[in-house]
Order: sequence, then structure tokens, then C-alpha cells
Amino acid sequence: MKQPKNNDCQNQKENKPGRTKKCGRRDFLKGAAKVAAMGSFAMVSGCGSELLASGEKRKLQWEEFFKTNYRIMTQQEKDATIARLERLAKIKKDVNIQMSSKAPIPGVLYGYAFNVTRCEGFMECVSACVKENNLDRKSKTQYIRIFEMEPGKMAPESGNGKYFHEVPVKDHFYMGVQCYHCDNPPCVKACPTQATWKEPDGIVVVDYNWCIGCRYCMAACPYYGRRFNWHDPVVPVKEMTKKQHYLGNRMRARGQMEKCTFCVQRTREGRLPACVEACPTGSRVFGNLLDPKSEIRFVLKNKKVFRLKEELATDPKFWYFID
Amino acid sequence: MNIATYKKCLFGILSAFVVLFAVETGFSGQGDVIETYKNATAPFDDEKLVDPVLSVSENTVLVNTKYQGGLFRTQTRKDKIQRFACSQCHNNQEVKIPKAAEMAHGDINLVHGGQEKPLQCFTCHKKDERDLLVTEKGVTVDMDHSYQLCGQCHFRQKKDWVGGAHGKRVSHWAGKRVVRNCTSCHDPHSPRFEKQWPSTYSLPLD
Repeated sequence: MKQPKNNDCQNQKENKPGRTKKCGRRDFLKGAAKVAAMGSFAMVSGCGSELLASGEKRKLQWEEFFKTNYRIMTQQEKDATIARLERLAKIKKDVNIQMSSKAPIPGVLYGYAFNVTRCEGFMECVSACVKENNLDRKSKTQYIRIFEMEPGKMAPESGNGKYFHEVPVKDHFYMGVQCYHCDNPPCVKACPTQATWKEPDGIVVVDYNWCIGCRYCMAACPYYGRRFNWHDPVVPVKEMTKKQHYLGNRMRARGQMEKCTFCVQRTREGRLPACVEACPTGSRVFGNLLDPKSEIRFVLKNKKVFRLKEELATDPKFWYFID
Repeated sequence: MNIATYKKCLFGILSAFVVLFAVETGFSGQGDVIETYKNATAPFDDEKLVDPVLSVSENTVLVNTKYQGGLFRTQTRKDKIQRFACSQCHNNQEVKIPKAAEMAHGDINLVHGGQEKPLQCFTCHKKDERDLLVTEKGVTVDMDHSYQLCGQCHFRQKKDWVGGAHGKRVSHWAGKRVVRNCTSCHDPHSPRFEKQWPSTYSLPLD
């Protein structure tokens, strides 16, 4: 009988059921090496099914894989990765996105104030935020949380964060929490890969591609300001915000950390963040802390303001005020 | 004194310095932002940041009062009133169409001023010149400048509105300041926001 050309263990067994010889160690290692090679190839090119994808997509994904941290990219490299991401979005989901890498405006330090007297808990800000920042609809990820508070209470954790009834309820006030963009951010110190940092305009951002998903920052944040993607975010293409920023609302992937960015894609163009623009009661004040004529400076000067957990010296740039 | 005592003294002084230094650096992080913004007194020119056409895209009018940064604009009102000008019907002649008031103004629900002192139509509207409003002191006010009228009673809100703690900017934090008018958010006839269902809900924290 002719010996089978390939020495695969399984074949040998099938062809010669009578033979009791066990599979050799050498054969096993050969098979294992083959499988490992195929597996690693599949990994770098995305996943198994994508082996069949177009050559362009594979090339773009390959190049994306080797890009560097946003902070040490040259402008050329930034433009290149943005062009790749725009093209990939077109190939994968057939959407035309416009991504930007707009740098911070010099002389600007963003500050935020929240009027606890005015907020009535309509949660328009939350809806606007979800839409603007392409947040995952499947797990209902939200950057903002509104708490229904008993009078006299100050700590949001004492309030009801999952209310769903007609608002405002008598003798209750509403308090919104989100990322406070601390001037001394503990999340940044916790990150082992320097995937998160504070921009010169005070916004704490994440380079999603450099995040390894260890969630140390989530544990370090005393305000529960960060959100984790347990799976790839699901956003209907129709509802997707096409105007994106590399550090802002571009699509994240599974295993990456994300957070409020004060809508960096809007604010760096002079526009208000989505939550401020959506608020029907005018409880949200946003502006440049370094501008003496700005609204935020008026609030800080003329209103009774407080910050949460000030004793932790995180120095948040988010104040609460009462009328 | 022998050398050992010198060494002890030196060690004590040095460690005291180290502790002092550590304490100082540890606490200097507190309140940095507050100091930063308090020191920022130089004027910031943000008008060139935003395309001026963009920020004044809606119909706006120059406000009579100045805020800390000078002149600013607010949204108009007259172009949002369906049947303006009022003088089309309310002129020298009497309105003779039966049930005209109900047909034209039946949707108005006047809940303003509380139960003790409810407001009437002519508390704010000028009786003989219906296109205008009138203050308690008899000064006529254009409908686009209704903040002047509202500010008679709600003077505290008006002060905050001028400064920026009440109301809101229309779309841009930078560029020419354009804010919402009183009537952009409040219905002047029943200014309190109505109860409503929240637009979404949050899942419980895990």
C-alpha cells in the first residue's frame, strides 16, 4: 500500500485503522505550526472572514495596525491615518465621514457650569450626547447621567439615577454628572500605555487605538466618568454623526475606553457641546475660562458654585451653581 | 560636640526640609484652575475663531444693554408670531367679526403672575397700540426687546441673562455673542415649563 504523501496524523489514522501506532510528537508539532501560522495571519488581517475582503481594505487595516500614538504623530501621519479611517468607513459601512484632527485653540481653557436649580431632568442632553458621540445603542452607553435628588442632598450617589416618570417631580432637584475634565486627572496617571492625556485646552482625551482596555482609568476616576466598550458599539448608519474628530466621536471598537470629550469635534470649531445646545432649560453653561468676558467666568464670579469631591485635589473644571 | 551629633543634627534638618518640600508640592496642586482663571485678565479675541456669518445666521437684534464683553445680540420675536402685525386687525376700527377673539387668540392660556396677582392682557400689551408692549411705568417696548418688559419683575433673571448665568447662547461659545431671548424658551403667557416625560432613561449602574 502506498504511503499517503501528507503525514497528517488524522489521515494516517483513517487510512490505516488497523495500525495501533500513536501520532508522533513530530507530526503533532507540524500540524500545530500550520494552525498557528494560519491563525496569526487571520489575526493581523482582522478576522477569518475578512480574509476574503478586498485588497485595499486589507492594506489599509495593515497600515492602521502600525500607526503610532496620536501625540507623537506628525501632521502628515495624522492626515494619513484620517484618510485611511475615512476610506475604511466607506468600504466597511458605506458612510462618508469627515474626520478632523483640529488642534486646540491657543488661549483657551474650557470650563463648564451646571445650574442645579434650573435643571428639570428632561434628559434632552443625554439623548443629544448619545447621538452626537455615536455611543453604543445596544448597551445604552451614556456619558451623562442625571440624578433625581432629594432636597438638601449634595452627593449624586444619594439620588435616583434611573428615574423614568414625568419630570420635574415636586420638591426634587436634578443633578447631571459626566466627565469633569480634571486639571489634575487621576485617570491619566493610572494609564499604563499613555493612551489618555490632558490636551492644552483642558480636555482629557483618549487615543482609542492605544487603549489596551485594562480599565485602570475607570477604577482611578472618582466620578465614574469613563465608559468601557464590552463589545463593538452598535450605531445605525443613518443616525451616525458624520462629522468626527480623531480624539472625539470617531467609532470605537470592542475593548476600548471612551469618555466625554466636551464634544471636541464641535468645541474646537467654536460651537457648543451637544449637551449645552440641547438643554431646553439653559442649565448648562460652557465657555473659555481664560476669557474674562465669557459666561462661565460670570457664573464663577457672581454665583454660589461648588465642585464635587474637591478634597481629592483632582481640580475639576466643572462647577455646579445655584440661582 | 563630636561628629556623630553633628551628623544627627544634619540628618534631622535635611529630613525636615524633605518633608516640607513634599507637603508643599502635594498641596500646590489644589485650586490650580481657580488661580489660572483668576490670573487670566487679558481680553480674549474669539471673534476671528468663528465665521461671523455662521453665528448670526438667525434673525437677531442688538440688545440695548451691554454685558461684560460689550454689545450682544438676541433672537427676534416678531417674525415668530403667526399673526404679526397685530395692527392688521387691531387698528382704529372696532373688530366686528363674531367670535374673532376666540378664533385668533383661543390658544392662549394665561398662567402668569400667580393666583394672588394674575396678569391681564393689558398688563403687558399696549391697549391703543397693539404692535407694542408697555411697562408698568408706561414706557413702550418693542416685541423683539421683550427682555426689557420681563426684566421689570424678573430683574434678577435679567441680570443673570445679561451676564450669562440664565438662558443660553444659540450655537457657538466663541464669536459674536448671540443669546436666546426670554420668549425663545418661555411662552410669555404661561412661562413655567410644563411637566413632561424625559426623552430617554439610564440603565442602573452595575
